[in-house]
Amino acid sequence: MKKALMKDSFKEIKNTYKRFLSILLMAFLGVGFFAGIRATSPDMIDTIDKYYKEQNVYDIQVVSTLGLTNEDITEISKIQGVEKVTGTYEIDGKIEIDDKETITKVIEIGDANIPKLLEGRLPENKNECVIESNFLSSNNRKIGDTIEVNIEKTKNDEGEEIEYLNQKELKIVGTVESPLYISRDRGNSSLGAGKVNYYLYINKDNINAKDVFTNIYIKVKDANKYQTSSAKYEDLIEETKVKVEDIKEEREKARQEQLIESATKKLEEAETEFNNEKQNAEKQIAEAEAKIADGKTKIEKAEAEVNKNEETANKEFKNAEKKINEGKAQISKNETEFAKKESEANKEFENLENQKNELQENLSKVEAGLNTVNENYKKILEALSNPNLSEEQRELLEKQKQQLENEKIGLEQNKKSLTEGINKIEQGIVEGKLQLEEGKKQLETAKTKLNNEEASFKKTKTSTLAKIEDAKKKIQTSKEKIAKGEQELTKQKQEAEEKLSEAEEKLIDAKDEISKIEMPKWYVLDRNENSGYASFIQDTKSIKNIGIVFPAVFFIVATLISLTSMTRMVEEERTQIGTLKALGYSKLQIASKYIIYASLASIIGGILGMCVGFVLLPKIIWMMYEMMYQIGDISLNFDWIYGTIGLGLIFGCIVGATIYSLIKELKETPATLMRPKSPKMGKRVLLERVTFIWKRLSFSRKVTIRNIFRYKKRFLMTIIGILGCTSLILAGFGLKDSISSIMPSQYEKVFDYDMQISLKSGLNESQFEEIVNKLKEQEQITKIVKTYMTTSKITNGELEEDVQIIVPEEKETLEGIINIKDIKTKETVTLNDNEICLTDKVAELLKVKQGDTIKLKDSEGNEKEAKIGNIVENYIYHYVYMSKELYQPLYGKDYETNVLLTQNIDLNEEQEDSLATDIMKEKQVSAVSLTSTSIKMMDDTMKSLNYVVVILIVSAGLLAFVVLYNLSNVNISERIRELATIKVLGFYDREVYDYITRETVLLTLIGIAIGLLGGYFLNYFIIGTCEINMLRFSKIINPLSYVYSILITIGFTLIVNFVTYFALKKIDMIESLKSVE
Amino acid sequence: MSYIEFKNVCKEYKMGEITIKALNDTNFQIEKGELVVIVGPSGAGKTTALNILGGMDTATSGKVLVDGREVTKLKNKALIGYRREDIGFVFQFYNLVQNLTAKENVELATQICKDSLNPEEVLKKVGLENRMNNFPSQLSGGEQQRVAIARAIAKNPKLLLCDEPTGALDYKTGKQILKLLQDTARRENMTVLIITHNGAISPMADKVIHFKNGTAEKIEINENPKPVEDIEW
Repeated sequence: MKKALMKDSFKEIKNTYKRFLSILLMAFLGVGFFAGIRATSPDMIDTIDKYYKEQNVYDIQVVSTLGLTNEDITEISKIQGVEKVTGTYEIDGKIEIDDKETITKVIEIGDANIPKLLEGRLPENKNECVIESNFLSSNNRKIGDTIEVNIEKTKNDEGEEIEYLNQKELKIVGTVESPLYISRDRGNSSLGAGKVNYYLYINKDNINAKDVFTNIYIKVKDANKYQTSSAKYEDLIEETKVKVEDIKEEREKARQEQLIESATKKLEEAETEFNNEKQNAEKQIAEAEAKIADGKTKIEKAEAEVNKNEETANKEFKNAEKKINEGKAQISKNETEFAKKESEANKEFENLENQKNELQENLSKVEAGLNTVNENYKKILEALSNPNLSEEQRELLEKQKQQLENEKIGLEQNKKSLTEGINKIEQGIVEGKLQLEEGKKQLETAKTKLNNEEASFKKTKTSTLAKIEDAKKKIQTSKEKIAKGEQELTKQKQEAEEKLSEAEEKLIDAKDEISKIEMPKWYVLDRNENSGYASFIQDTKSIKNIGIVFPAVFFIVATLISLTSMTRMVEEERTQIGTLKALGYSKLQIASKYIIYASLASIIGGILGMCVGFVLLPKIIWMMYEMMYQIGDISLNFDWIYGTIGLGLIFGCIVGATIYSLIKELKETPATLMRPKSPKMGKRVLLERVTFIWKRLSFSRKVTIRNIFRYKKRFLMTIIGILGCTSLILAGFGLKDSISSIMPSQYEKVFDYDMQISLKSGLNESQFEEIVNKLKEQEQITKIVKTYMTTSKITNGELEEDVQIIVPEEKETLEGIINIKDIKTKETVTLNDNEICLTDKVAELLKVKQGDTIKLKDSEGNEKEAKIGNIVENYIYHYVYMSKELYQPLYGKDYETNVLLTQNIDLNEEQEDSLATDIMKEKQVSAVSLTSTSIKMMDDTMKSLNYVVVILIVSAGLLAFVVLYNLSNVNISERIRELATIKVLGFYDREVYDYITRETVLLTLIGIAIGLLGGYFLNYFIIGTCEINMLRFSKIINPLSYVYSILITIGFTLIVNFVTYFALKKIDMIESLKSVE
Repeated sequence: MSYIEFKNVCKEYKMGEITIKALNDTNFQIEKGELVVIVGPSGAGKTTALNILGGMDTATSGKVLVDGREVTKLKNKALIGYRREDIGFVFQFYNLVQNLTAKENVELATQICKDSLNPEEVLKKVGLENRMNNFPSQLSGGEQQRVAIARAIAKNPKLLLCDEPTGALDYKTGKQILKLLQDTARRENMTVLIITHNGAISPMADKVIHFKNGTAEKIEINENPKPVEDIEW
């Protein structure tokens, strides 16, 4: 190349630095954005890759429902391709701070997943811990403070309850970042309100419950050679994962057997012990019984003796008594005899008495006769004494007196014999009586003697009897004692029996428990199942997708812009080209100037763009993502491939555009070139034919319209520029709208419950009723719906997706809690008895439609065929709804409620939390999840996409600015004579400005209008590429977003116009009018 | 006092370190209604003088008075107003707006002036009644210059300034244009200044100002200007 020409090239750059800069800027933006955005996703992945490698993060993780053993580790280590296997302990604990309960993941610091130390130091002994810095700031704690971590007691393999940690008072010695939790999601917990809030790391020494590991972390051989989430990495991991899964069943069984074995062994021991004890107890009882029996025999013997003695005594007594009685009988016989004698005697006496009495009577008769005689005598005497008595009388009387005296003497004689008889009798009686008395006396003596004998006998008898009684009494007390002993024995027996039966029951329970030891379940997980990692990778993918759309727009615009600029430049230098041609320079030599110009602009701009793009864009995007992920600083890479591609593309575009515009000119002869190019012909536009409109337009409007159509290229450029800008902005806002509408769509339109309560499995009816009633009593809960939920895989035969199956207890109850609406008709669907409802995203993914049959795969791999009744509206995750009437026959299982959905009254966050915590305390409840929490969590995830939107909007604005500025420059330079002319004509600055910008404004308006349409489709496209499998973005653009897009575009146009105003003001009339170039 | 007065007007351009004096103490007067021809070789300062007079450029020092108004003192907006109302310009390369028809080009000027003339009438006057709706590209050079003249005079200016109006035209057409200018000056009693490097046309003027080395070296007054038709060159 000739020196002069070279010089000319550089001079050209100096003179037209604005143009040079504008091309350079386009190259800068094009390459910068392309390289930057393209590099961001790899940079982010590289960052996490380096971070994960540095922290030695696992490739595969194994968790089990019943813990993992050293044997498991050994077995896994044997798998080909496994490099290192580490078992660790991770458990949820509660920390109470200021009456606030937080759930913390307590993790042992091991070789795998090493936390990154931020401040302080790692724990060195068992009473120290490191915690995430969030904890300190949110709870107003600092390094050096002590916290108390409460972990539920756990059972070791022997079934004993033990503390999980040795030390629960932990001193915070530092803050860390955990590679396991790079996002804010810390996972679910069965404690508290069901969410883990923080993590903390402790020293291994602090673990007390060392029987089983909670997690096994596997490093795969050679995995570190590949970048995480790269296809090679994923393949390698998958390969190993499959191998781990191969031994899964065996290990699960082994663990179950181990547990059963140890439980059985323990049971056996317990059984032996129980039996021993039982025997012991029985022996003791038997001994006690024997003793009692012995005692009883003794007593019996004693009793017998006593009885015998008693008998003998009694016999003797009888004999004695007999004798006495005989004696007595004798006596009584004697007595009787005596009595007989006596009575005889008495009879005699009586006779005698009678005789005597007769005698007496006679005597008394005699006496009476005597008396009468005496009296008569006396009377006679008296009468005799009576002087008056006649002698006759006297004589008579005397006769009588004589008689009487005779009589008296007779009588007296009688009396005397009588008295004599009487006396004789009396004497006999006395004599008899005396005899009797003597007999009596004799009898009496005998009697007395007998009595004495009897008395002494009696005395002897009494004493003997007393003795016997005594012995008897003694026996009685012994008997009583034995009875008491017996009683005690029975009591003891009972007690022992009770105890034994209790023990036995326990044994039975233990046996029962053994039978209940379920098959543990292994979960073999890779990094993709770590929610933080997965969402991070998903985010890098979103960025990657956006990185495809974006730079494309930039490249197109950059190419168009450089095309206009370079064409303009070549046109401006027509004469010079002609001159050079005339001087004999070759086409290539002439072209080289412009190619150098364009190349320099594109290469310098491109390299600058690369430098800035590779650093700035990833950094900016990272800054936004940093709020969500804790990984540390982004690792920036100078990606030669993207850099070269970007540079090559922009170089190709700009230089290509230059060559394109050169080719036309270079074809011309020097002469034609040296003549000024005939100016573009003025033309009537189509609109002028429509006279009734044209007539109505003001002069300046006519000019504007004609000008617009005159510069078709610029017209197109401007419109494309504005269009691009508006559509990118609208797409950005649209993306934001779509994202932000997901949550309300899902949690208001589809799911309208406030709380989801998961119940433990295997509840019996009464337990279930109890919890339901308890919830019903809660005033804060207004509605409860019983459902069965389970996860399942759904497949169309080729593709497979995870879905959640929801089966309501009664199909009518779902309405208002879960609104199942047909995607097309938007009408509420009622579940029927033979078809399922499938949510639309999964239907799309599986390419199935209404009426098709799909297969549902349960965890055991059984496939159930079901017909799709309706494709229904849904935005997050995939669901299959089916009625109980379909579920039961399909699965051959009884329906069993495991999830309760509730609607609550309006509660604030605190009230909701406390309600959840309360419910969580119920023993039947395994988890409580609040819709509001889900919304919050999802919102956080969604926010990251908002940042992308910001980037979209900012860069679209930048693009619009560059485009408009460039076009406005080209416009001015192209029409500088025209502008100078009207300035000479006396147009005020404002009028000149209007003259030009009226066109821009009109074009902007057209651009905006088309841009809105374009944005709508771009949004559609971006959403299509960004949409995560689990989400359904609604393709809605908020009307306000249209307004914002319009306003922002107009704003940028105004800025450019403002710059234009000064550019126009600076136009030098004289220079411009001097001559035609 | 004359209608136009140039008093000690200097104009310097700074090109880097060098200062070029385009006008060096120029003095002349022009009366109202005069047709003035300014002649001189290239670089003598004719155009600079015209530009300053036309309000397109400013003098470094000195005074320019037009109709008693000191143009040199006018600031930006007033200067534009001056151009707008008082000056009509005719350029060597016509400077028509390509995208506008002949009539529209004239309208472009008239729509911003208060006392503008009817564009169609003006075009008739310059003999273009049949080409009014043609675009510049459809007109010959002479016709284009006529449109330019029409555009200038339609504003009804105080001054009509023409910078080499025939420079791009052939002899015959040039002559016609000069005639048009002369006629216009006579008919409308308009003050017309024509710059030319062709001294041969001087006889048509009322006054001829000779420029040399940045100053008006000689001012001739033609008592009897010749009609253009009579001039040959």
